[in-house]
Amino acid sequence: MTLVNVLYVGVLLFCLGLYGTLTRRNVIGILLSVEIMANSVNVILVAFSRFTQNLLGQVFAVFVMSLTVAEVVVGLALVILLYRTMRHTDIDEASRLRH
Amino acid sequence: MLELVGIAAVAGVLVAAAVSVVFGTNLVHSVLLLAVMLFTTAVLFVILDAPFLAGIQVMLYAGGVVTLMLFAIMLTRRSGGVAVNNETIKGRRLPAAILCSGLFALLAWSIHQTTDFPNGGDNVLATRQLGITLFTEQALSFEVLGVLLLAATIGAIVLARKRDHGEPEPAGAFQRPARGRKEATR
Amino acid sequence: MKQVVCDTRVSTMQDQTLLLPATVALFLPLLTALLLAVLVPVRRHGWAAAGASVVTAVIALAAAAHVLAQPSDGQSHVWSVTWLAQAGAEIGVLGVRVDGISSSMLVIVTLVAACVQIFSLGYMKDEPRPALGRYFAYHSFFIFSMNLLVLAPNLLQFFLGWELVGLTSYLLIGFYYQKPSAGYAAVKAFWITKLADMGFLFGLLSLFVVSGGFDFDASLAPGPATAVTLGLFLAVMGKSAQFPLHVWLPNAMEGPTPVSALLHAATMVAAGVYLLVRAFPLFGQAPVTLDVMLWVGSFTAIFAALIAVVQTDIKRVLAYSTCSQLGYMVAAVGAGSAFSAYFHLTTHAFFKALLFLAAGSVIHAVHSNELTSMGGLGKKMPITSATFGIGALALAGFPGFSGFFSKDSILESLAEHRAWVPLIFLLAAAFLTAFYMGRTYVLAFMGKAAGHAGHAHESQSNMTAPLIVLAVGALGIGWFGHAFAGRLSQEYSFEFGGIGAIATVLGLTGLSLAVVLYRKRGLAADRSPPLLALSGFVNSAAVDRAVAMGFRGLALPLSKTVSWFDRYVVDGLINLIGWLGLNASKRLQRLQTGNSLDYIMAVVIGTLLVIAWGVVS
Repeated sequence: MTLVNVLYVGVLLFCLGLYGTLTRRNVIGILLSVEIMANSVNVILVAFSRFTQNLLGQVFAVFVMSLTVAEVVVGLALVILLYRTMRHTDIDEASRLRH
Repeated sequence: MLELVGIAAVAGVLVAAAVSVVFGTNLVHSVLLLAVMLFTTAVLFVILDAPFLAGIQVMLYAGGVVTLMLFAIMLTRRSGGVAVNNETIKGRRLPAAILCSGLFALLAWSIHQTTDFPNGGDNVLATRQLGITLFTEQALSFEVLGVLLLAATIGAIVLARKRDHGEPEPAGAFQRPARGRKEATR
Repeated sequence: MKQVVCDTRVSTMQDQTLLLPATVALFLPLLTALLLAVLVPVRRHGWAAAGASVVTAVIALAAAAHVLAQPSDGQSHVWSVTWLAQAGAEIGVLGVRVDGISSSMLVIVTLVAACVQIFSLGYMKDEPRPALGRYFAYHSFFIFSMNLLVLAPNLLQFFLGWELVGLTSYLLIGFYYQKPSAGYAAVKAFWITKLADMGFLFGLLSLFVVSGGFDFDASLAPGPATAVTLGLFLAVMGKSAQFPLHVWLPNAMEGPTPVSALLHAATMVAAGVYLLVRAFPLFGQAPVTLDVMLWVGSFTAIFAALIAVVQTDIKRVLAYSTCSQLGYMVAAVGAGSAFSAYFHLTTHAFFKALLFLAAGSVIHAVHSNELTSMGGLGKKMPITSATFGIGALALAGFPGFSGFFSKDSILESLAEHRAWVPLIFLLAAAFLTAFYMGRTYVLAFMGKAAGHAGHAHESQSNMTAPLIVLAVGALGIGWFGHAFAGRLSQEYSFEFGGIGAIATVLGLTGLSLAVVLYRKRGLAADRSPPLLALSGFVNSAAVDRAVAMGFRGLALPLSKTVSWFDRYVVDGLINLIGWLGLNASKRLQRLQTGNSLDYIMAVVIGTLLVIAWGVVS
């Protein structure tokens, strides 16, 4: 197992997550895809940490994890709020700020 | 040899789960597959000599986040009990595909170009050391993180709590035009 | 940042005595005009304005006479102020230039102006007082404008004066602005001279491009010289009423008669010839232009003379006569003799102004311009008829009178230049001039009185005095040819050769023919076959139709092309910029879809680009 291989996996995951963010119709689905992206970042961080013997990577990964959780919490609160006003969770419909 | 297979399997499951999450149509299935992916990531962390992180990963993500998502799904269902719609928007598939493959190609190419990747030794990084670093060198960031989490929690509560009678929603701009004379536009 | 540089050539005593009066003559009328413009009660009073203006004119005359009285040293003296300089080069210069040419012209202008203004005191006395004030304010302004161009040290200031006299002419022709015909005439004069002034502008700017300055005596290659001088000549054609731009001058008779005397006989229309004389160094370098001038001038001379023969309005006779005489002057310059043109300009100023003022006296007495209302005035208005007679004889070139000398000089110079056909034109015009002046005199002052003429009486003294003064000039100036030439550092000797003899004979023949034809029969003689045919041609719309055809054929298509260009290319360019702005804005607005996924995509694209750039470089 080399660093490069893990990196490839991480990058692939990231791009998949990105695709999901850009195409999903459901708001929660978008959040799921964002989760995948954050996760891939963690993978890459830990991989680097392992192969450079530097603990900072893992520390950073801890932080990323915590922050991601916070973000998900707030995000879901917003989703619930959105649902309350719009009665649906379709992001395509939510284009009230359209010119 | 076995090692190689194991790692390949992990990676494979990871990617497969991710793909399913991204391309699946049933939202609940997607969430459950996300849980699988997060769990598999924890396994990967163990392989990468980061047991503590693996533990946190399972607890926070696979446990917390997924549970939260499920709750949110439950609260945002329309009555009728149909599987939540989770398609991808037709017009967006191609541009996004191009973009993402472009990004992947770019990053892969730059990885490919790099020659001096470290291939560090086999020293296991102690969790103990991690703890010490967190509470001494990165103490400030740690504290700030704590405050941030607090803020996020309070913010989420405020946003999503049940409104008393007549109290306006924060997201007033998204309101549909008034259905009756009673609800004034905000 | 303006740099005001006072020319340091003002060091000698002589400079002071020459330039100071000249400056006074230039600016005092301006001061009067401005005061009258601003102090409305003074102007409305009428006679106060008249007094101020007349006094100003007399002072200006005294100053001019003082300048002329100084011994001339053949140099030109200049006082100037630079109002526009760029990188050390003086571009805009305002000043006063006194030399032989300008000092004599200054005297002519101020003398005729003073005579006209004094005459106006009598002629215009029945006008309402505010109008009177306005009239005299315009007169003062005219003297200023005319002096601005007479004393100009360069073509730029000359152009300034040129335009200002054009403006004053418009104001004075349209003086009786309640009359629609007066307004029409004023606008017509202004438009035609404005068209001609485009030529001036072209010549001026070309001169600047080629020589970097506006000097009268720049040396140029024949090509550029031709371009510049043709442009300037176009302006002269407009201002000095040469064919085909002469059409405004008969209409300009709508103005009060003293105005016709001053502007449209003696001074303003002479400004064109003055330009030719002043800028003769330039014209001398462009033989093509000189030839054009020769032909245009001589043709105008005979063309206008023919028309004058059949006019019944006394002012129109004199107007066409002015046209014709200006043609003489232009032809003289074309033949290379600026001096004879200038000589004729001087004598013409005197006798033409005299003729107009005398005609004014007659008009004032009989209350009409038409020859049909006149007759037998010789007995009733002795001074007027005597002075008119003197002016007529001078114009006709009767031996001994001033016109004789100056016309002879012109004809001689054409003969020297071997310009035979133009010479024939001018000789024919001399015959016709004598004829129509004889006709006019006989019809107005001899024979039986008709209508109002029966109760006519001589005009008051403030109208007859100027007549006498001008008559003295019309009689005597001719004898001073030598001194005049001396001032201009020119050679002049009076040679009476074959051409002169022919011209004199023609003149006398014309006069006698007129007397014989009209003495007994009066206006009925107009119906004799050749005259009938001529008047038929003149009164037909032939010339007008030709002009209209020229307009439709040339001017309209040109105008349409230019206006198309202006509307679609120039405006189009501007509109394009506006349209671009609007449409770009509209298109860009579509980026604001309100859909969050679009915004995410934009972020991703941006990030991708940054990463790509980072990877590549």
